[in-house]
Amino acid sequence: MLALTWLTPFAGALLAGIVLPPLLALWFLKLRRRPRIVASTLLWTRSLADLRANAPFQRLRPSVLLFLQLLLIALIAVAIAQPESTGVVDSGGRYVLLIDRSASMLATESIDGASKTRLDIAKHAAIDRVHELLGGGFFAPRAGDVMVVAFASRAEVRAPFTDSVADLEKAIQSITPTDEETRLGEALEVARAFSTNVDPDRPDRTVAAPARLELYSDGRFADLAQLTLRPMESLVYRKVGSAKDNVGIVALAAERPADRPDDVQVFAALVNMNLEPVSVSVQLALDGQARAITPEPIAIPAASLGGAGGTEFRPGSAQVIFRPIAQPRDVVIEASLLRKDALASDDTAFAVVPPSKRLRVLLVNSEGFVLASALDALPVERVDRITGADFDALLASQAPVSYDLVVLNNYAPKFLPQGRYLIFGAAPPLPELNVYGTQKDVWCRVMREESPLLRSASLDELYVGSAIATRPSKAWEIVAEGADAPLVLTYDAGDTHAVYVTYDILESNWPFQRSFLNFVANAVDSLGHAGEAITAQGVRPGDAIALRIPAGSRQARVTGPAGIDATPKVDSDGNLLWGPVLRAGLYDISFLENDRTEPSTRRVAANLYSAAESHIEPVAEIRLGVDAVSAAAVTAERRSSVWPWILGLGLLILILEWWVYQRQVRV
Amino acid sequence: MSTAKQSLARLDDLIDGRLMAKLDQLDVVSRKIFSGKLHGERRSKRRGQSVEFADFRPYAAGDDLRFVDWNIYGRLDRLFLKMFLEEEDLSLVIAIDASASMRTGEPDSFDYARKLAMALGYVGLSNQHRVSMLAFNEHGVERISNLRGRRKSSELASWLLRLKPEGGSGFDAAMKTAALSRLGRGVMIVVSDFLLREGYERGLGMVAGRGFDLFALQVLSPQQVDPTREGGVSGDLKLVDSESLGETEVTVTPALLSSYKARLDGWTGGLRQWCARRAVTHLVVESSLPVETLMLEYLRRRGLVR
Repeated sequence: MLALTWLTPFAGALLAGIVLPPLLALWFLKLRRRPRIVASTLLWTRSLADLRANAPFQRLRPSVLLFLQLLLIALIAVAIAQPESTGVVDSGGRYVLLIDRSASMLATESIDGASKTRLDIAKHAAIDRVHELLGGGFFAPRAGDVMVVAFASRAEVRAPFTDSVADLEKAIQSITPTDEETRLGEALEVARAFSTNVDPDRPDRTVAAPARLELYSDGRFADLAQLTLRPMESLVYRKVGSAKDNVGIVALAAERPADRPDDVQVFAALVNMNLEPVSVSVQLALDGQARAITPEPIAIPAASLGGAGGTEFRPGSAQVIFRPIAQPRDVVIEASLLRKDALASDDTAFAVVPPSKRLRVLLVNSEGFVLASALDALPVERVDRITGADFDALLASQAPVSYDLVVLNNYAPKFLPQGRYLIFGAAPPLPELNVYGTQKDVWCRVMREESPLLRSASLDELYVGSAIATRPSKAWEIVAEGADAPLVLTYDAGDTHAVYVTYDILESNWPFQRSFLNFVANAVDSLGHAGEAITAQGVRPGDAIALRIPAGSRQARVTGPAGIDATPKVDSDGNLLWGPVLRAGLYDISFLENDRTEPSTRRVAANLYSAAESHIEPVAEIRLGVDAVSAAAVTAERRSSVWPWILGLGLLILILEWWVYQRQVRV
Repeated sequence: MSTAKQSLARLDDLIDGRLMAKLDQLDVVSRKIFSGKLHGERRSKRRGQSVEFADFRPYAAGDDLRFVDWNIYGRLDRLFLKMFLEEEDLSLVIAIDASASMRTGEPDSFDYARKLAMALGYVGLSNQHRVSMLAFNEHGVERISNLRGRRKSSELASWLLRLKPEGGSGFDAAMKTAALSRLGRGVMIVVSDFLLREGYERGLGMVAGRGFDLFALQVLSPQQVDPTREGGVSGDLKLVDSESLGETEVTVTPALLSSYKARLDGWTGGLRQWCARRAVTHLVVESSLPVETLMLEYLRRRGLVR
């Protein structure tokens, strides 16, 4: 079915309404000459002949009628040229409209008292552009084809090359916002892939000129530095929006203090993108209930321009630490900025905190009280002690080890199953450790002080009488080493996490040093919680949610912000995958376990956490390699054709001309 | 310009008593003295039967014996005839254009022409002149001849009231008829608009050379003189010629009006010059001018009446 597009129906109707009645009147009044009987037409015909005899050339006399007629013709000529109120109408060729739908495009712009998101403005402008290129109107040659690509961190072709205005409009309207970061590279690649015609015989040459690219965006691209325009390629950057006021949360973390595992402590990092300092209050809500608010607004310093030439933008930043809140259960923490700005997506952040967990530790070969008493001093649920033989028996029974951490005190079992181990002395049966002897009289020479194991645990004073000499492969990471061999190593492979101290602590002066206790505490804490963050791992917009749920679970379902309700994929092992996550917010993943009727729920937080997207001020010029592309501003106002109005004006002038003419002939 | 007009119906419409009283004092003047057929109140060059002695001449066979001067015969024994200055009548011929073009204008040119003819005829009749009238158009010439005496006024008026203007002018043919008619010699007045496609020269030439003391009264309506007057033309018009019914589309502009006026001036000026060269008196008369004013002032000033 033929889709008709009316470019200016209102103007057309108005024009018809204004012009037709006078036109009819003119026709009646002017073209129908009244008959009049006169005595003789002799003198009249001769007078007419006199007048005509002067034609075609005579001295040009100033005449209002002549002026009006010239003006009328000029206006008609201008109207036929189809001027538009903004921009330049061009046509022909192929166009790719690249529409940015990243997080910053959700910034709101105030236009004529109404607020619209940049994405809405961009869609509006793109639809207008489609009408310009394909809408036709009088005398307008149609452009070739138009393609629509929506992109954020990934690009999607919303409409392949087509000249159907209806299809393109539908495709543009269907573009939904995301909270992803902006990456232009993939969008360019997609556009090029669709628009470049390569001669099969000369693959280095394109058959036709590449399509013209038109970019509707605010111009903040994370990958801009790696992009260049190819030869013959042209890019028009249509800048969308002008707002720049924004303060955002770029990090939210929650921690259960080691000494108070039933409490939750929340940290938030804020950025200020304005060039003046701002103060903002932050509200903390637990499971949707407001629980705390900063006693005084947090002052965030102004953003500054630094670097070479003052081009590097440095946002002002501030950290907020809330008082610990008693919360032994799992909880969803929501931090919100109590300040209105242009971008709302980064004013709220979520964190999912699992229930407090206390470690169960198994100490194998508890000979020697030093290690046992050090473990007893830690805030763990319990420390069980068994002998090496019992441990071997336990391993042999293949019963699952129900401890969070196993400490091997100078005991080497025949094999180690997956698990978490803190090993002192005897070399464990872990791969690629390559034991080659012993070392005597070792001082710690090198240590990685940034390692969490060595937090407040300096080994400068450590002396080891005898240590096992190893030459580990790269699977091992050396934390501290003596002159010839490592002293402390870590091993992380799959679900096996181990910290290996290559000497018996009784062979060293370590028990007398404060660093020993700190090291043990660090190691237990690190290993005991290895693989699980204090807050459950969140996702970033653009990522997928991947969870392991009990195998055989049914009816898995994902619900999230902006009305998201979807069915994720779950394989037979219980690996759940859904994505990509497009919007920031809290996602509930519910499923029915095998033997349950009540659904279980897991929660995943997706947060923007992007200073780049929080920096919403549109860029005036983007540089692709050596090409600088200046912005052509896009407003929310519909780009309207001017020619109907010019034509209308011309008709008014025609009526005026007729009136003047009548006045003159009536004498 | 209305075509449905209240036409003249009675003698009083043509001439009223008050005007008659004023016209009684006037007489038609000829710049030439013609010999008339009847004894009129006018001195003729012809010697005849009046009481005023002029001369003697010898008797010739066949002379009326009543005019023989017997006293001279007794004294000289020769027959002489007494010759007297004869008082002759004047022949007044009025030719009226009865073509359709005269039936236009406000006031109507034809009605005006009839009123004028009636007034002149009345003066002629009152002064015992021999009054004849012709009305001409393309259908031919209608005439009434040799009226004399005031009592013929009503007959003349009836004839005028019966006239109907229609068709073309037939000017040349009418003038030819007038020239060849035995109307006698005298004063001839041609009343017309003289807007003749075929031209006036030939027609007028026929009567101008026949011894008539000729007057050309060109009657034009005010709208013909100035089309911008009320009832004139304006705007986009289809002008229809009243005689030929030919159509001319015009858009009345100042330029056209100015050209029209120049053309009209040229036409009347040409007629005036033509007349002047042939001792014909030409007078342009607007039909809005009262007949009384015309008779008592204009024509008296131009020497037609006294």
